Amino acid sequence: MTTPAAELVGVTQRFGSFTAVDSIDLRIPRGRLTTLLGPSGCGKTTTLRMLAGYASPTSGRILIDGQDATRTPPEKRDLGMVFQSYALFPHLTVADNVAYGLTMRKVPAPERRRRAGEALELVGLGHLGDRKPQQLSGGQQQRVALARAIAIRPRLLLLDEPLSNLDARLRVQMRAEIRRIQSETGLTVVLVTHDQDEALEMSDEMVLMRAGKVVQSGAPRDVFPAPADRFVAEFLGYENFLTLADAREVAVRPEHLRIVRSDDPQAGRLGDVALGDITLDAVVRDVAYRGVDMLVTLDATDPAGAPVRLVADHRAETGPAPSAGDRVRLVAPQARLALLTPEPTTPEPTTPEPAIEGI
Amino acid sequence: MNQGLRLGRPVAGTLAVAGYVIMIVPILFVVATAFTAGSTLRFPPEGLSLRWFGEALAYSPFMEAVVSSLELAVLATALALVLGVPVTLAIHRGRVPGKGLLEGLFLSPLVVPELVVGLALYQQLMIGLHLDNFTTLLLGHTALLLPYAVRVTGASLALADPALEEAARGLGASPLRAFLTVTLPMLRPGLISAGLLGFVTSFNNVPLSLLLQTRDFRTLPVTMLDYVQQSYDPMVAAASTLVLAATVVVAVVAERTVGFAKIFGGINR
Repeated sequence: MTTPAAELVGVTQRFGSFTAVDSIDLRIPRGRLTTLLGPSGCGKTTTLRMLAGYASPTSGRILIDGQDATRTPPEKRDLGMVFQSYALFPHLTVADNVAYGLTMRKVPAPERRRRAGEALELVGLGHLGDRKPQQLSGGQQQRVALARAIAIRPRLLLLDEPLSNLDARLRVQMRAEIRRIQSETGLTVVLVTHDQDEALEMSDEMVLMRAGKVVQSGAPRDVFPAPADRFVAEFLGYENFLTLADAREVAVRPEHLRIVRSDDPQAGRLGDVALGDITLDAVVRDVAYRGVDMLVTLDATDPAGAPVRLVADHRAETGPAPSAGDRVRLVAPQARLALLTPEPTTPEPTTPEPAIEGI
Repeated sequence: MNQGLRLGRPVAGTLAVAGYVIMIVPILFVVATAFTAGSTLRFPPEGLSLRWFGEALAYSPFMEAVVSSLELAVLATALALVLGVPVTLAIHRGRVPGKGLLEGLFLSPLVVPELVVGLALYQQLMIGLHLDNFTTLLLGHTALLLPYAVRVTGASLALADPALEEAARGLGASPLRAFLTVTLPMLRPGLISAGLLGFVTSFNNVPLSLLLQTRDFRTLPVTMLDYVQQSYDPMVAAASTLVLAATVVVAVVAERTVGFAKIFGGINR
C-alpha cells in the first residue's frame, strides 16, 4: 500500500469556544480527486486551509507525502491552491500570474515562460497570456487560477469551491474540465464543495462532513445509494423518510417512489409489488409541473402508523398524471430503500448496505 | 418621485454652480491682482505687469520659507507613510485586538483642534524636552498627516482581496516577498494619494506652524501671513499665484500618471 498523498491525524481546529474541525482523521489517496462535501460551517474549508498551511491545527498532525508538515508554512508545502475568489494578481498579466510560483522558485526565465505557457495551454487559454486578469470573464479567470496552481507541479492541488462563482452552464462544463485536467496531469486533487451533484460527478472519493466531523466517506457510487444517516440522506437529496414497524428508519428518493392508481385493477397484482417493497395508501395533496416530470406531494401513513408527507416524481410515460385529492397507492421498491443508522452517528467507512429483508 | 427628480436637478445644479463660484471667484481675484502694475492689492488691477512676480521671487524670506515648507512637507509625509502603512497593514490584515480603537486613535488628529495640538507640542516638546522647533514641527505635522496615511492607504487595502497574499504564500513567496510583490503594488495608488494629500496638507498648514515657528525656521504660509500684516502690496498675491500654479502642475502630472479618481478614491482598479 502506497503512502497517501496527504493525511490528517486527529486534527482539531478551535476558534475560541467554537470547534470548526473536531478531531478528524482523513487520508487523501494519491492521484485521485477527493471532495470534501458538506453544508456551510461544516469545517470543510477550514480543513482545506489547514492542509494548505493557512491555518494551524489546534491539535493533531498533518502529513504530506508521509512527512510531518503540521508547522510547515504554506510557501514550503509545494501545494497549488485555487481560491473561491481566484485571487489573481490584478497588477500582473495572465502569463505573469501563472509564472509567479516559478519566479518564486527561481526557475530561469526561458523555462518559466515555457512552463507557464504549457499550463495555460492545458486550460485552453494559451492565447490570453498578455491580458490582465480584469479583462477576462469569470470562467477564464477560473482557468487562469487553475493554471497558476498547476504550473508549479504541486504535490496536491487544492480547490476551494472553485465553481461557485460561475453560472450554471459553465459550472457543469468546468466539472468535466477539472476532471480532464486531473486525469491528464495525474495530480492529487482535493476539492471543497457544498454541491452534492458536483461531488458525485467529480469525485473518486467523497468525504461528507458535518459540524467538524467526517460523517461518511467513500466512492460516490457506494455512498449515494447507502447514506449512513438522515443527515447524509437529506444532503444527497433523499426527501422521504419512513419509520418501519420495527422502528428502523429508511429513506427513499422522490424518483423511486412509484405512484399506482388505487382504482387501477392492475395495481394490486402481485407482479408489480415485489416481496419486501413497501406499499402505502396516500392522498395527493399537490402536483407541480416541472417540464421533465411532475413533483407530486402526498399525505400518507408510514408503516409505524404516523402521518407522513412524501414527495414523488411522476413522469408522463408511466401513466396519466394524478391530481390533487386523488387516492393513490405508493410503492417504495425494496432495492431503493436506504436503511439509516440512528443518530448520533459514528464516523465509519461505509460499506454498501445489504438489501433490507423481512419487512 | 419623478417630480422630486425634476425639481431636484435644477436645485442641485444651482448649488453646484454656486459652490464653484464661491470657491473659484476669490482665487481669480487674487490671480488678477497679482498681475497689476500698481503698488496696492486692489481689484481691478491697475495696468498689467509681471513686476510683482519678480519681486516675490527675489524676496528672500519667501524663498527661504518655500525651501523650509518643502523640506517639512516632504519629510513629514514620508514619516507619516512610514509609520502609517504598518498600522494600516495591522488594521486590515493583522490579528490585532481592538482594531476599531487603533484606527480611531490614528484618525483622531482630524478632530482634535490643531491649535490645541500645537500648544501641547510647544509646552511638552519645545519647553519640556528642549527639542528644536524644526523637530517639533516635523513631529506635529507627521501626527497631522497620519490619518491620511492610515485611512487612504487603508482604502486600497480594504478593496484588495486578502486571499491575494495567501495565494502568493501558497505559490512559494516568503511573507516579505509576498508583501513586496503583491501587497505593495496593491497599496501603490493609496500611497500616492496619501502622499499627495499629506504633502498638500502639510504645505498649507497654518495653525501648527504658527504656534511652533521661530526666527530660524518659518513655513511659507506663516511667512506670507506675517507679510500681509505688515504691508499690503501685491507681492503676496503673486506668491499665492505661484503656489497655485505649482499645485496645478502637480495635479495635472498626477492626473496624467495615475488618474485623479484613483488618487482621491485610493481605489485600486
